[in-house]
Amino acid sequence: MAETVKLFVNGQEVEVESGKNLIDALKVVGIEIPHFCYHPALGADGNCRMCLVGIEDGRPPLVPACKTPVSEGLKVQLDAEKIRKIQHDVMELELINHPIDCPVCDQAGECALQDYYMTYDHQASRMRVPQVVKEKKLDFGCGVVHDQERCVLCARCVRFTRLITKTGELGIVNRSDEARVTVFPGRQLDNRYALNVVDLCPVGAMTSRDFRFKQRAWFLKRSPSICHGCSMGCNIFIDHNREKGGDDLIYRFRPRHNALVNGYFICDEGRLTYHQENEGRLATAMVDGKDSPLDQAIEMARRKLENARKPVFLLSPNCSLEQMLAIRALAESRKARLSGFSDAYIKNGDGDGWLIQDDKSANRAGLELLGIDTAREGFAQALEDADLLVNFNSMRIVPAAAELAGKIAGLTTIAISSHNGPLTRQAAVALPVSSYSEYGGMVINTNHILQRFAPAVIKNQPAPDMLDLLRQLGCTLTERTDLGKAMQQAIPALAGTDMSAFPAEGLNLKEKETDHVTA
Amino acid sequence: MEVKVLSAKFDIADAHLLEVAKQHGAYATLEKLFAMPPADVIDEVKNSGLRGRGGAGFPAGLKWSFLPKGLDKPVYLAVNSDESEPATFKDRYILTRDPHLLIEGIIICCWAIGCHDCYIYIRGEYTTQRKALQKAIDEAYDAGYLGEKVAGQDFRLDVTVHRGAGAYVCGEETALLESVEGRKGQPRSKPPFPAVAGLYGCPTIINNVQTIASLPFIIANGADAYKAYGTEKSPGTHLFGISGHVERPGMYELPLGLPLLEVIDKVAGGVWKARKLKAVIPGGSSTPVLTPEEAATTTLDYESMAAHKTMFGSGGIVVLDETVDMVRLVKNLIDFYHHESCGQCTPCREGLGWMLKIVKQLLNGEGTTADIDLLRELCDNIEMKTVCVLSAACTMPVRSYLDKFRPEFEAYAADRAKTEAA
Amino acid sequence: MSNRAHLTFTGKPFQFDAERDAEFEYLVKRYPTRESMILPALWLTQEQEGWVPGEAIAYIADRIGTFASQVYEAATFYTMYHLHPVGRNHICICRTLSCWLRGKQEIVDYLAGEIGIRPGEVSEDGRFSLEEVECLGHCGTAPVVQVNGEFHENMDVEKLKQLLAGLP
Repeated sequence: MAETVKLFVNGQEVEVESGKNLIDALKVVGIEIPHFCYHPALGADGNCRMCLVGIEDGRPPLVPACKTPVSEGLKVQLDAEKIRKIQHDVMELELINHPIDCPVCDQAGECALQDYYMTYDHQASRMRVPQVVKEKKLDFGCGVVHDQERCVLCARCVRFTRLITKTGELGIVNRSDEARVTVFPGRQLDNRYALNVVDLCPVGAMTSRDFRFKQRAWFLKRSPSICHGCSMGCNIFIDHNREKGGDDLIYRFRPRHNALVNGYFICDEGRLTYHQENEGRLATAMVDGKDSPLDQAIEMARRKLENARKPVFLLSPNCSLEQMLAIRALAESRKARLSGFSDAYIKNGDGDGWLIQDDKSANRAGLELLGIDTAREGFAQALEDADLLVNFNSMRIVPAAAELAGKIAGLTTIAISSHNGPLTRQAAVALPVSSYSEYGGMVINTNHILQRFAPAVIKNQPAPDMLDLLRQLGCTLTERTDLGKAMQQAIPALAGTDMSAFPAEGLNLKEKETDHVTA
Repeated sequence: MEVKVLSAKFDIADAHLLEVAKQHGAYATLEKLFAMPPADVIDEVKNSGLRGRGGAGFPAGLKWSFLPKGLDKPVYLAVNSDESEPATFKDRYILTRDPHLLIEGIIICCWAIGCHDCYIYIRGEYTTQRKALQKAIDEAYDAGYLGEKVAGQDFRLDVTVHRGAGAYVCGEETALLESVEGRKGQPRSKPPFPAVAGLYGCPTIINNVQTIASLPFIIANGADAYKAYGTEKSPGTHLFGISGHVERPGMYELPLGLPLLEVIDKVAGGVWKARKLKAVIPGGSSTPVLTPEEAATTTLDYESMAAHKTMFGSGGIVVLDETVDMVRLVKNLIDFYHHESCGQCTPCREGLGWMLKIVKQLLNGEGTTADIDLLRELCDNIEMKTVCVLSAACTMPVRSYLDKFRPEFEAYAADRAKTEAA
Repeated sequence: MSNRAHLTFTGKPFQFDAERDAEFEYLVKRYPTRESMILPALWLTQEQEGWVPGEAIAYIADRIGTFASQVYEAATFYTMYHLHPVGRNHICICRTLSCWLRGKQEIVDYLAGEIGIRPGEVSEDGRFSLEEVECLGHCGTAPVVQVNGEFHENMDVEKLKQLLAGLP
């Protein structure tokens, strides 16, 4: 912890980080101050008035916690009768014009209004006059649907488009209780981060067309993971659920805060890549284009590999570091030439200097770190006299290798693949493997942040794990402890690191190296 | 009872023209002003005890002294000519009848606070007033009282009139700044106060038109001459607006401290149509109402108003005769504040609309005594929970009507009871 | 206030005429930020067109270099901007405290009866539109009526008759 100050909350002394406001500082020590409009990424606006707290001997005696920095000796009253009454009163006023139809609201279960009602209000409505009528189901563009009646006018969404994306599509028009969030006609949401307003919305006013009414929030399991949509490696929650009689399916990705990587947000494109985890999966092993029992297909692949004189291994820049290490080890033992050629993952000019990167792969830095050649020439050369191509889940090869396609077509190929693709269809042997939402591992993002992620989804019929397949194909570096050692060898920064205490935010390898130099 | 300090040139024909105004002393203080160090000007104003005439009554000189020293940023002056509080209609007389008095005051203030860019925020409804003001400003530019060298001094001063467009809340000083910056007039949280971070993030002083227009007299004649008017704690004169049920409504300049009822009787001709007095709103619609008994002991100064649990406000006195239906009056008031709520803070945005609907329900004969209690409780629940005092400007007076005239509200509730019984 | 979010679009492109253009360029120099021109530009539009069409909001935003949503916010927040065409004679009647006390309702009722429209409406021939507005700051000469910006004080039905007769 950085510098600290001691202050009093309800008479109890607490030590908190200085330089923060009361909401953020006290949250760290487990004290919640209710709020709608404040968000750490958007700053304090002070419009909701839910975070009003008392300051003993203070001038003024009542302050919004979001706008009040912590200071030494500050005496904060949170449970004083007058503060409880204010919270109760503000909640009542928040709710008078709010539809009371939680059972049909998509936000139910993850709604600040609902939660705070239970904690701070908990009274029957005294509203005996007609509510203000506003518009519902407004299409704001980018898959965002807005309900003005559910909105609490916290302006988080407006501030997001003005302060963060600087596209400013949203505004609050009118004044008084006619105030409402809207877009200027013809200038709808048009930015690549628009769906973040759905997460930012503390209530059910902003919904995602992609997610709304697909699943109740309370059924969803929230598993932390890392987006593999590009080389940023944004931290996400994978919200998934196995419905009765169905499979474990992903319903949405949501951003997970990581100050080192993505802050509070993710891009829309990455957010919607969850569809690819559910769909288009290679479900069964195939031999010569026909379904085959898995063990027979593996045996077939093993023999082909054993008999190959000049095998070429192509591996995906999305593979985890563990997978890359194991594939490299197998390549060495089989004298296979190894290529990480993956130009088709790069979409030049698509990056925006913020979260979206040109490189649509999650671990190219891993390839580089392990010294795996990614050049087209290397791959083309290797193919020249190759008699077998083993593709380790590289899904984007054809567009960038059109002139190589003919060459590949003439080769015997083994496709180890999580998804159906051109190479799986033509492969002599196609073996399904799990995808990143189903396994755990480490990846390095474009800024050299080494991150670890854990399995999230457990399919009814799980595809084999890549490491498991590799072991069955004769790879000897597939055990966790061995891989751990290999990893520490490959990454000097990891030497001596207790992997069970690996930092949740990840490890900045560049910084670590510098540390070593200066040390 | 009337005096002629601010209004000295109001009755002179064509005094809005520079030529005429100069014949009657306009800009005469400038020679003295530029010989004074700015700190001395601030001291003189502090000594005069001049209080902000917009409604809050904050000492003007003290406000100026809050400006941080030695900052590498411009200092702005924003003149508040938003004058939108119901029953307030004083500043516009300055704008149309003696605009050069205001400009002269602006020069004094800007010299004192080191400001070179002044914005006059005028409410959009003041169409003819804006034209008159702009004409005077143009004259002042042409005559060298504004521009690169004010009165030949090495002192630049530019004055720009910024038009509001129908929003009472812009009279709140930080909402005014937001409006000049091109945004909705939504008040800012304080701190930081405008003197530290105001217009465009720079130190800013916001003063009401009448406050600024009081400066030439103070500089010309000294603080003591100004203090010769009024009371010890409320020195000076004020442009009082008397409206409602009186024989001679209008704007009158009076020293502070005069007895309220005497002013109503002698200056404004008393309650009209020989009717009885029911109540007095002492300082604009947001100030708690006074019963005749309370009014009888009230004098027109800050301290007497405070002692009567009301406020001096903007000096807009409204006289209510015996025929006034207080429930309807409260509806009229809430209607106004609800209409003008900027929509920012939850309690004001949602609460005032609720209060309005409750009163309407009562007037429709559909209310109960529980609704009256609820209305009273909402006043407490909303008040002072918001960024600015607009909500309090509604709840404070409404509470006073509920407390002082409750039987009238109950009569409406009884209507419903009667209907139900039938 | 009522909901002002609904805008009217003319279907024709909007731009300032030469006079407003020059005025815009003069005024913009008097502020340190271009955003400060939002209110003045809306006023220039209203002077030019009599009201503020949807196209003008987009035009102002682009000309200033700000978000259309921000100009839209201002146009709907400030109630003096007419977001729909008004009559040749736009009559505002003060409805607040002192004018209410001194008989504004008679004025409204008379006008409504005489012109046949209620506040918020425009007469079919486009000659009149009525609006009840909040305090106009003429409480000492209440009730007050404002026609196209011109104040008419101490109004009563007699004076109103004369006023109406003189309007184009």
